[in-house]
Amino acid sequence: MRRKSLMKVMRAAISDVLETMFFVTVEFAESTCTLKEWFSDKQLLFGATISFSGPSSGSLWLVAPVSSLNEITANFLGRGKDEISDEEKRDTVKEALNMIGGHGFSLLGRKDTFALGIPSLIEGLTLIENMQGNSSKHTILIKAGQNRLAAGIGVD
Amino acid sequence: MAVNVLIVDDSFSMRSIIKKTIKVSGFEVGKFLEAADGKEALQVLINEWVDILLTDINMPNMNGMELIGEMKKDKVLSSIPVVMVTTEGSERRVREAMELGARGYIMKPFLPEEIKGTLCSILGEAEYAKKELDEGYEGGDF
Repeated sequence: MRRKSLMKVMRAAISDVLETMFFVTVEFAESTCTLKEWFSDKQLLFGATISFSGPSSGSLWLVAPVSSLNEITANFLGRGKDEISDEEKRDTVKEALNMIGGHGFSLLGRKDTFALGIPSLIEGLTLIENMQGNSSKHTILIKAGQNRLAAGIGVD
Repeated sequence: MAVNVLIVDDSFSMRSIIKKTIKVSGFEVGKFLEAADGKEALQVLINEWVDILLTDINMPNMNGMELIGEMKKDKVLSSIPVVMVTTEGSERRVREAMELGARGYIMKPFLPEEIKGTLCSILGEAEYAKKELDEGYEGGDF
């Protein structure tokens, strides 16, 4: 499977999931900046990864700063931003990634071939440091309203 | 008729969303019950009456497919309608779940109307089946 087509469906899945479940408008930045530059305001970052297997295997990841997660978690749960706990933010980043992965693979059309693992948390800074060597072609920079997130694919 | 709903998902946020969606859809719910995986769900099923169960597939300890398999071994539990609410949208997974006995399938991300529509249809069928059972029931030993 070509990484290009995987990136295309993942973008579609990110839009569908963030707009349907988290009520934010999604735009993709065409910038080639690094993840460290994208998240330059030194906020605490929350990250999650999920493995996949099938015609190709690898992992998907999602990372978001605390301010972005405050907003999307509040939208998701229908509560005020100041009522959201860190545990709920972590749960949100995992569940958002889980939905993006599942929805993305279902959009691929080869519906019976991919299996997703169980999402796990990863410290956001560690995640972006691990991804530093990756090409920007494998990274999706996301603007969700006023907030920034990033996602990506690592194919084994 | 108020129904007891068991929601099984390892994400408590997702359990909360499903609960909220069912509430706003106007269903008369007696009790919302929750479990984080299939094992916890079986414990709830032992202790509580459940009219409908909504479960994720991909969960640690015991996944949604294994949960349906365990429920099928018990005459009472196997009669509880199960709806899969999951990101696993592959045709193979849907087919497997239906073959195992799931009555419905909702893909995440979902719209509230999808949950409402599926529950209406399944609970309507379940009520009809219960009436038929009651009419045909000739009494038991207990």
